[in-house]
Amino acid sequence: MTTPWRKVIRDFWKERMRTALVVLAIALGISGFASVMAAYAILTRALDEGYLATNPASATLRTDRIDDDLISAILANPEVSDAEPRRVVNGRIRSGPVEWRNLMIFVVKDFGNIRVSKLNPEAGAWPPALGEILIERDAFRVARARIGDTVTVKIAQGKEQTLRVSGGVHDVGQAQARMENMVYGYITLATLAQLGEEAYLDQLNILVAQNRFDEGHIRTVATDIQKLVEGRGHPVRRLDIPRPGKHPHTDITGVMLLSMSTFGLFVLVLSGIVVVNLITALMASQVRQIGVMKAIGGTRWQIARIYFGQALLLGVAAIIVSLPLGLLGSRILCRYLAAFLNFDINSFAVPVWVYLLVALVGLVTPLLAAAYPVWKGSGISVREALADFGTSRNTFGTSVLDRALAGVGGSVRPLVFALRNSFRQRTRLALTLLTMAAGGLFFISALNVRASMISTLDRLFAGKKYDLSVALGNMYPSEKLARVINNTPGIVRGEGWFTTDGTLPDPTAAATPGNAGSSGLHSGGVAGGGQGSGGSRGTRVNVIALPPETNLLKLEIVEGRDLLPGESDTIVINSALAKKLPQLKVGDPLTLQMGPAETTWRVVGISRESFSPSTAYIPLAFIAERHPGMANNLRLVLNKTDAASINAVKTSLERNLELEDVRALGSLSQADSRFSFDQHMLMIYVFLIVMSGIIGGVGGLGLMTTMSLNVMERRREMGLLRAIGASPGFVWTIVVAEGVLVGLLSWALAALVAWPVSKLVGNFLTRVVFQTGLEFAFETRGLFIWLAVSVLVSAAASFIPAWRASRFTVREALAYE
Amino acid sequence: MISLQSVTKEYETPAGMFSALRDINVEVRKGEFVAVVGKSGSGKSTLLNMVGGIDRPSSGTVAVAGTEIHSLSESQLALWRGRTVGFVFQFFQLLPTLTGAENVMLPMDFCRTFPARERRQRALELLERVGVAQQADKLPSSLSGGEQQRVAIARALANNPPVVLADEPTGNLDSVTAGAVIDLFRQMAKSGTTVVIASHERDIARVSDRTVEVVDGTIVGIATDPYAAPEAEDCA
Ligand SMILES: Nc1ncnc2c1ncn2[C@@H]1O[C@H](COP(=O)(O)OP(=O)(O)O)[C@@H](O)[C@H]1O
Ligand SMILES: [Mg+2]
Repeated sequence: MTTPWRKVIRDFWKERMRTALVVLAIALGISGFASVMAAYAILTRALDEGYLATNPASATLRTDRIDDDLISAILANPEVSDAEPRRVVNGRIRSGPVEWRNLMIFVVKDFGNIRVSKLNPEAGAWPPALGEILIERDAFRVARARIGDTVTVKIAQGKEQTLRVSGGVHDVGQAQARMENMVYGYITLATLAQLGEEAYLDQLNILVAQNRFDEGHIRTVATDIQKLVEGRGHPVRRLDIPRPGKHPHTDITGVMLLSMSTFGLFVLVLSGIVVVNLITALMASQVRQIGVMKAIGGTRWQIARIYFGQALLLGVAAIIVSLPLGLLGSRILCRYLAAFLNFDINSFAVPVWVYLLVALVGLVTPLLAAAYPVWKGSGISVREALADFGTSRNTFGTSVLDRALAGVGGSVRPLVFALRNSFRQRTRLALTLLTMAAGGLFFISALNVRASMISTLDRLFAGKKYDLSVALGNMYPSEKLARVINNTPGIVRGEGWFTTDGTLPDPTAAATPGNAGSSGLHSGGVAGGGQGSGGSRGTRVNVIALPPETNLLKLEIVEGRDLLPGESDTIVINSALAKKLPQLKVGDPLTLQMGPAETTWRVVGISRESFSPSTAYIPLAFIAERHPGMANNLRLVLNKTDAASINAVKTSLERNLELEDVRALGSLSQADSRFSFDQHMLMIYVFLIVMSGIIGGVGGLGLMTTMSLNVMERRREMGLLRAIGASPGFVWTIVVAEGVLVGLLSWALAALVAWPVSKLVGNFLTRVVFQTGLEFAFETRGLFIWLAVSVLVSAAASFIPAWRASRFTVREALAYE
Repeated sequence: MISLQSVTKEYETPAGMFSALRDINVEVRKGEFVAVVGKSGSGKSTLLNMVGGIDRPSSGTVAVAGTEIHSLSESQLALWRGRTVGFVFQFFQLLPTLTGAENVMLPMDFCRTFPARERRQRALELLERVGVAQQADKLPSSLSGGEQQRVAIARALANNPPVVLADEPTGNLDSVTAGAVIDLFRQMAKSGTTVVIASHERDIARVSDRTVEVVDGTIVGIATDPYAAPEAEDCA
């Protein structure tokens, strides 16, 4: 090892306390980045692997009764490697006396031989016997049931039946039951018959033989099959082609984690700022050494290398510290997200590219941060470096600010001292403020984003004046429904609406009939195990027909006007739909396919609706022209909206609907639908708070480094203060006061920019997670909490440097060269 | 070995231009031991800086060991300095985190003058020569002033330079130690190294081959000088 390297290592070790602070600051940044990147690699791999392991269907076709002949005919096509019939039935489930939950039942032909879209048995029985139901493992909490319990199940045509929960399965490709607030159950055909439904299967899960991941190829094969099925007299109601080989949540998880990693990089940049401060001070304190090295033959580059070596060591040490931290972080993140997304992680192995990337980022960050100070510091001429002349570079007193500060008198001497001291190293102060303010900014933003999301949701829900919506299995005469409403205690009033699905005609694809008459309640749902597959089909639109002058929905019209009584050919579209039709203007015609028919409407207005899928509102009069006095959806206002009252209403409503022979598909209270939003929101909020904690940590370490540098450089002054009679306590006080002052300044800075920044951050995050904008709200409480945090953190950060300063002796001060 | 011709140096100060050196002409032969004397602030350090390539003259030329210094770039200058000139400073200026031997090895590392494996051996020999071989592996903070200055002298000799410049090398030493240090320089000159020492103590004149006296940036007298310098022009 050459002598310059020895110097690198010894200098590094000599100031190990301070070095450790900076290493820790960098390590925080690297750990954050490493956690997210490792989690990204692990999760996307695990999601896709787990999903592929189930042999997911390449395409799903819905038709009517499927027989063995049809299957054989399909399998005759060499492009098809497998075709398996299934059925999805909607119903309701209840465990215990009151609670009804929405239920999606998957009917499987032969549990012993599932080859496509496999289910993983988790616990209990497999397969379920007659009269038994298996429940998706994530749905147990929604169902409030356990294995061995008896539950009541009711599907469209049938009567209430009791089934025994005999086991749990993991259905990897399914959206999480908790988020959907839906129970997934798995039964045999025989049990379906027992439930009062005709025992046939109507859904075909098809697996292509070759090019499993080629969506175009799958589409060709699926279209052939569709023709074959239709040719044999079975109408095809719907054809779904999910993205091949990709778990439906891979993309959103990836995007989420990658945007989180930008925050990790941001923390790294902040820790780079701490490195800038450290290296700048180091170069300043070693001016003479630099001069000597130059005098004895060191070139600028040779000397710069010594200090770059220090930066490199900082990086290496930080990487070593952050590897275990990062791996731990990634596991926590993976576990949390795996539970959230309902899937298992078989291997936490981190691919090599993540290690390489993290090492690269960890080494480059301090080197980049050191680049300017090192290059500048090593450029000093020998004469300047060694001259006794002009060594007193302390220029305090030369600028306007200094003189202004000197004018700030006061009887609290330590405070005056602290105030003037803190402004002596301008650049260092500015950089320290920046890192600390960033933490505050994140914290205040976190609270603001939360407040904004709450106010956005409040506004969204404020327009919906009903408490409970009930989707009916068919359309029913309004008088019947009115009777039910009148007879059910707890309902203040109600309206009968008409909801249906529509499709924007897609000129590129063969028109596939929409799913008319299905529940418009739970939009963006999981029907058939695959969300509407991107742009390949026409965009689905929820169509809601409103009675004239409805009392239960107040649209927030942002352009044009609301629907008017007496109209039947007008339509109001919501912002989500408007975004998909950017060229559409108020006054333009809009064609929607509903059922077999296409209808053209005149767009009269655009309503703002955050967090909502594409929706269009039409006058109920349009429906009335075709089905006079009918409705398929109830919107109800209740007199009490606590969970127990809602359940009580649901139960008696249930009975009354049955008395009138009205079949309900499911009901959803506003409280429940809001709950799922709140869950997502909580995630963003927790993320921001964790981020602000990490950034605050870097800021604290940065301040500690700064204070320690300040104290080192002013060692002589501190000793002199002691020489003229200052007590250690006095010296201690001025240092801590300086630190707290910096904390206060950083708080002020954060408070100043918090408004625009939190607006930006909030919009960015909600756009990533919800694809929607935000109603901005400012949470003033955040300002006060962060004020307290800043003062405490900065006092704590200056504690040790202050203690060291207070112990400088007069002798040391004067001996210091 | 050293040749300064019409060298002037002016500094910009808040009070205007300040002439630290005025029309200096000096020639020093190989192996000569020259003392530059003068009061504090007279320009001795400035003069040495010109010779060592630490500072550039405002006008005039400086040639050392056959090289016109002003023709070199900054990094060429550093390498040249490392090989051609050894420096000894008043405050020793050892690097605090390197041991004595390592301080001596540093110039060899910078200039790659000796094979890496031989550098330590050479450093130990040099330390032996200046009488501090025992201190080779100690850090400067545990050495006395005299010991530190001896290590510094060994460091100045590391690359076997033809010229050694010492600016007030005894300024921080007691008189006994100072005498010993001066003896080291004396021996150095005897073995062929050109030595130039700046000092504000006139005593040095007694041991030097030649004494150059500087007053207000002008050479006013050269004792035992075979090549008389031209009369200093009065340009105050
Ligand atoms: N960088 C500088 N800027 C301005 N004046 C300087 C500078 N360096 C030296 N001087 C002035 O030049 C004169 C000579 O300085 P110096 O050579 O250090 O004297 P000596 O070494 O004899 O004490 C002094 O008056 C000093 O103030
Ligand atoms: Mg001097």
